[in-house]
Amino acid sequence: MSDVENSRKGIPAIPGLYKRAVVDALIKLDPRTLIHNPVMFTVEVGSAITTLLYLQALVGAGEAPAGFIGAISAWLWFTVLFANFAEALAEGRGKAQAESLRKMRQDTIAKRLRDRYKITKGSEPQDTDFEQVSSSVLHKSDLFYVKAGDTIPVDGEILEGIASVNESAITGESAPVIRESGGDRSAVTGGTVILSDWLIVCVSANPGEGFLDRMICLIEGAKRQKTPNEIALNILLLGLTSIFIVVAATLSAFSAYSVQSAGAGTTVSITVLVALFVCLAPTTIGGLLSAIGIAGMDRLIQRNVITTSGRAIEAAGDVDVLLLDKTGTITLGNRQAVEFIPVDGTTIEELAGIAQLASLADETPEGRSIVVLAKEKYSLRGRTVGASGPEAGMQFVPFSSQTRMSGVDQGELHIRKGAADAIFRYIESSGNAVSDELRQAVATISQAGGTPLVVAQNGKALGVIHLKDIVKGGIKDRFVQLRKMGIKTVMITGDNRLTAATIAAEAGVDDFLAEATPESKLKLIREYQAGGRMVAMTGDGTNDAPALAQADVAVAMNTGTQPAREAANMIDLDSNPTKLIEIVEIGKQLLMTRGALTTFSIANDIAKYFAIIPVAFASTYPSLAALNILGLHNGILAAVIFNALIIVALIPLALRGVKYRAMSAEEALRTNILIYGAGGLIAPFIGIKIIDMLLIFLGV
Amino acid sequence: MATESIGSLIKKQAKPAALIFFLLTLCLGIVYPLVVTGIAQVVFPVQANGDLIIHNGTVAGSSQIGQPFSSPQYFWGRLSATSPVPYNAGASSGSNLGPNNPALVQQVKFRVDALHAADPGNTQEIPVDLVTASGSGLDPDISVAAAYYQVPRVARERNLTESDVSALVAAQIEPRQFGIFGEPRVNVLSLNLALDDMSAHRISVPQSTGSNAYSLNGPPDQVFGMRMADWIQVLLFIGLVALLCVPLGSWMAKVFTGKPNFFSPVFDRIEQKILAISGVDSGEEMDWKQFAVAVMVFTIPCIAVVFFLELLQQHLPLNPAGLGAVPWDLSLNTAVSFATNTNWQAYVPEVTMSYFTQMVGLAVQNFLSAAVALAVLVALIYAFTRKSGTTIGNFWSLLVKSTLILIPICLVLSLVFVSQGMPQTFSGAVTVPLLDPVKDSTGALVTNQTIPLGPVASQVAIKHLGTNGGGFYNANSAHPLENPTPFSNFVETFAIIIIPAALCLMFGGMIGSRRKGVALILAMSLIFLPLLGLAIWSEEAGNPVLAPLGIDQTPSHLQSGGNMEGKEVRFGIVPSALFAVVTTVTSCGAVNAMHDSFMPLAGGVMLFDMQLGEVVFGGVGSGLYGMLVFAIIAMFIAGLMVGRTPELYGKKIEQYEMKMATIIILIPIILILAFTSLAVLTTAGQSGVFNPGPHGFSEILYAYTSAAQNNGSAFAGLSADSLFYNITTAIAMLIGRYAVIVLTLALAGSLVAKKIVPSGEGTLSDHRPLFILWLVFVIIVIGALSFLPALSLGPIAEYMGMAAGGLIHV
Repeated sequence: MSDVENSRKGIPAIPGLYKRAVVDALIKLDPRTLIHNPVMFTVEVGSAITTLLYLQALVGAGEAPAGFIGAISAWLWFTVLFANFAEALAEGRGKAQAESLRKMRQDTIAKRLRDRYKITKGSEPQDTDFEQVSSSVLHKSDLFYVKAGDTIPVDGEILEGIASVNESAITGESAPVIRESGGDRSAVTGGTVILSDWLIVCVSANPGEGFLDRMICLIEGAKRQKTPNEIALNILLLGLTSIFIVVAATLSAFSAYSVQSAGAGTTVSITVLVALFVCLAPTTIGGLLSAIGIAGMDRLIQRNVITTSGRAIEAAGDVDVLLLDKTGTITLGNRQAVEFIPVDGTTIEELAGIAQLASLADETPEGRSIVVLAKEKYSLRGRTVGASGPEAGMQFVPFSSQTRMSGVDQGELHIRKGAADAIFRYIESSGNAVSDELRQAVATISQAGGTPLVVAQNGKALGVIHLKDIVKGGIKDRFVQLRKMGIKTVMITGDNRLTAATIAAEAGVDDFLAEATPESKLKLIREYQAGGRMVAMTGDGTNDAPALAQADVAVAMNTGTQPAREAANMIDLDSNPTKLIEIVEIGKQLLMTRGALTTFSIANDIAKYFAIIPVAFASTYPSLAALNILGLHNGILAAVIFNALIIVALIPLALRGVKYRAMSAEEALRTNILIYGAGGLIAPFIGIKIIDMLLIFLGV
Repeated sequence: MATESIGSLIKKQAKPAALIFFLLTLCLGIVYPLVVTGIAQVVFPVQANGDLIIHNGTVAGSSQIGQPFSSPQYFWGRLSATSPVPYNAGASSGSNLGPNNPALVQQVKFRVDALHAADPGNTQEIPVDLVTASGSGLDPDISVAAAYYQVPRVARERNLTESDVSALVAAQIEPRQFGIFGEPRVNVLSLNLALDDMSAHRISVPQSTGSNAYSLNGPPDQVFGMRMADWIQVLLFIGLVALLCVPLGSWMAKVFTGKPNFFSPVFDRIEQKILAISGVDSGEEMDWKQFAVAVMVFTIPCIAVVFFLELLQQHLPLNPAGLGAVPWDLSLNTAVSFATNTNWQAYVPEVTMSYFTQMVGLAVQNFLSAAVALAVLVALIYAFTRKSGTTIGNFWSLLVKSTLILIPICLVLSLVFVSQGMPQTFSGAVTVPLLDPVKDSTGALVTNQTIPLGPVASQVAIKHLGTNGGGFYNANSAHPLENPTPFSNFVETFAIIIIPAALCLMFGGMIGSRRKGVALILAMSLIFLPLLGLAIWSEEAGNPVLAPLGIDQTPSHLQSGGNMEGKEVRFGIVPSALFAVVTTVTSCGAVNAMHDSFMPLAGGVMLFDMQLGEVVFGGVGSGLYGMLVFAIIAMFIAGLMVGRTPELYGKKIEQYEMKMATIIILIPIILILAFTSLAVLTTAGQSGVFNPGPHGFSEILYAYTSAAQNNGSAFAGLSADSLFYNITTAIAMLIGRYAVIVLTLALAGSLVAKKIVPSGEGTLSDHRPLFILWLVFVIIVIGALSFLPALSLGPIAEYMGMAAGGLIHV
């Protein structure tokens, strides 16, 4: 996954895509549509003018041979059509992606709860409490009820209940997930299916305003809002186009004067001026610009990321600070118990046994890993809470944020495990002292970046469990690449500074925020932003929402809470925290594709001058023919044809994006200038010459 | 602050505008020239008053101004295109004949025939300066080759031996100044006076010195196709600019960042005084709108006062020639021209403008127009250096500071110029006798020559330093009194470019990274040097049209050779080409040779220099703010190519910046092309054309290029003093200047509000070689794409036509 190229999913063959794109290309000729793309609109006006000139020539009053005007005119129309085709193709593919997402949006029957219904904890609504309505009439803050086998009609926030949900429709992941009210797993997505139990859900968006709806709008060209950077580029292209309109228009006067002053030749024809204008105007980038934007969005969807704003994708390219949650992104999901360290004379078997006992009811991955370690290392069989035998009568003491301990009580036996300082307090409150050996063991683990979990029995310490974070394979290389791209990585963790520093060093991040709270995250983002940096982060919990709202690029996990999803500007359907890195790459690739094609487009013009000017003025100043360095016979037509075909030739590049790999800005510029700048200078000389030779071969 | 209406903003700035204008006029238009005149008259009494030759007790002419010689017993000088008689010092002028003009061939043939008729036995090739007209029409010199060429004729006519006359010539040779500058040459009047003395036995034959450096034999030492002497001048120029722009730049950076410097005790006091009188609180910062309003309000007295001074000059003092009111359209054109730092001149100053108009009107604008642009530049730089701000400085404070920077340098320059023979006096013209009287076009005998004087040096100093370019005389810096020696020429060329070059370093200093300033200067140089090379190569090669007429255009020890039409012997080809390229890449527009008579390629280079947007060095202030706009565009595209929203000097380039930058670049291009097409389509426009064929088209294109880019130089054959040209060029100058200034300030207003993004690996560096090359590429491509078609109907068609075989139209 180190390369966008590699991680790209195969684009599914979409039946009828090309056919529909051809039809759409014709429909897009409507000037009212085309005016949104000023560069291509001017080309269309030019095509229309030459068509009229062609008709005039047909009746015998032409400014040039009808065949010539007709050929130019035809190719100008092709230029517009090719650009339209590119856009239509990108839209078509985007739509196909969105369509498959939209399928699950299709109207389902929703069980809308009546206004009078009051939620009572743990009780399921009766049949009389709801009415069956179409999902399309559900509005924000309506409540609905779903039970096993139902499809969730729209996005919402769970108010009551717990259920397992099959979200494979959007994530492709077949394992069911648990969704419950409160906490960080309270959001449900429309189109997913309840497998067991029931839920009462509050609708989070009006029809047509959901995340997916907004995303579909973004893809559909007509309603597509141009993104800031795209607008800025459009301004430049419009400026260049204006220059070339003036160049072509004034050239008629200049030519007329020259003819008069030289007493030779004829004034350059309008057909030639239109051809000159179209060749100079940045049609290559102008024709492909919206296709590039749509394709960028499309690449996001292919990676199961949906966004509500194209702005966010561009911003992703600009990000210079990535805030990454330690857990799940940098380290493998959870810490694992790797060692038992007995203290104060306890034997290791004793400790293992007690630790296992304390963790039996602990369903957290850490708890389970303790059970597993005890079982594997000390052959203690797994036991279950509440069974008969020595474990009978056990009372589970859950973790609370006040005590910061958990454990079990069995009669007079009180077993506690928890963070070192919490257990120390517990030991001291029981009147015992914390031994130096214990402190030493805790410190050793902490210094190694691990998390010490102290186990105590009846106010007396038995030993320490060493919990360790496992850094994901390959993540370090990823950070090296990011650094090369000028992106700073910051690890966010609730761990203490020491633990955080160790993992940070092991993973190779640039900085870390330890003992992170929602406030400190928000503060950190604001500090970076005040320093002029663009910050990206992922989050899923409700307490992430303020930070997500503040970040420039905020990716919410699909499994996250509704507030988190609302605050973010992207949602990752796979809920994969590493996705952020790919999103950044997609953003960069989008901008690079625009820049590369702009450069290519402008560099092309030089060759076109050499094709057109000698021919245009040769009748007045025959010596200018020496500028025809390519020895072209149909220079103008060849240039126009080249100009049209290059759009088609570059459609795959526009849709795919330029090849991206992690490198510094300097390297990226050098590479792209060489390929698209120098290439843009040379390619048309070759292309135009070949087309000219073909024209001669065809007897034109 | 932001909610103030434009009306109230204007009202608020009216008082400071009027008072500061009045105080600065007093200081720059009265005190400054008086001080220079006082010192000049005491220290350089001869030079400051026309450098008159006292020969045998009487005034025999000016050593700076050539005289017409047509009698065979005298050495002849250059051809002169002045009217109604040659060498009419009251109205200097070049021929402005294009290299491809049949009239040029006619003129040369006529002279060749006259030389052959007077000396049938002489079959040598004729040195080119003897058959071409000088730029001023007053060139006092001929090349050593041209003097030796005439020795047989003069000796025969005077019954002297050729060796005696040769020895006299050798004794009269003025070597390169300080052994470095200009060409070895012979002052014709001085030679002829000595000749008369020798014939009358008042002096003996000079002993030929043992080591005659000017032997007729042996080719000059050429290095890469150019004479060593020329290389030395060019390299010395480049070296000195590179050397001195550093301290000047860092001094200016200190002035604008309020750091103490050598001048600050004086400057600060003067500034505080002026601002206090004008009711300006110098600490009060302006947002971009207030700043723009202040600039525009200040423009009103600048244009109006010059306009009315011209209309009313007959009622004002210091008008020794008794010149009448200037016609309204010409007055308007001139007022606009000087206020916009264009200094396009549609008039012959000697016979149009009184000393008072020049000194109190035009010279003051030379200072103020440069200072205004400098203030705008500093505001833009503040916008880059300030973080999340709203204000970009106080215009009045920056204006006064900018003006003060110019004054001490101008004082030094003026005195250097006077020392070289540039007049600085309030006395009227002096009349001197002609040694060899000529007949005018009506056949009447003309026996006297009028040497024009005036407070020249004080105005010429700022004309160059402020990249203004408006000459005190018609022939501008080709005029022997406006550019008396090769050294004055070197200093004038240097003075044009030094501030624009230093501003890059000032920018580096203010933005806290000298490398960024150096990067800009390197980008400019990368465009400047090849264009300079092309112009020199084109001029040195000479005019192929003249080759068949038996003309020697080869550079040698004895002559600079090359295309000498419109050029002065004392400078020679290379310094003239250097001056021409320097004056067109900066928006100066002063000329020391007639641009209309340059070869097509060199003429094309000058056109292209301006069409690149006057950002390659460019005008004082305006050049660098233009360059920064190009840097914004270049960085935008480059930034896209590296995959992030581009930032320049830490400021993000977004929609608004792109909108402003694009329009700023668009404006002059559209002005040039639209007005040129208007002119070529109308009789009024066409009737101004002087040279036929593509060169005529170049004249019109050059006029609007020069006006819209605020350069001011001209293909001067064009008759620009018509209602049509006066009005259209005035419009082009106004829009080309003020629309760009207002938009630049709007750009500054947007940039200043942005945060400064710290640079890292992901930031594209704005000072590394790659970006420099990219910037150069963007500037050249935008210029070339906009103007190649037009250029191909002008200089390119002319060049290709000549390359394909001689005259296109005979």
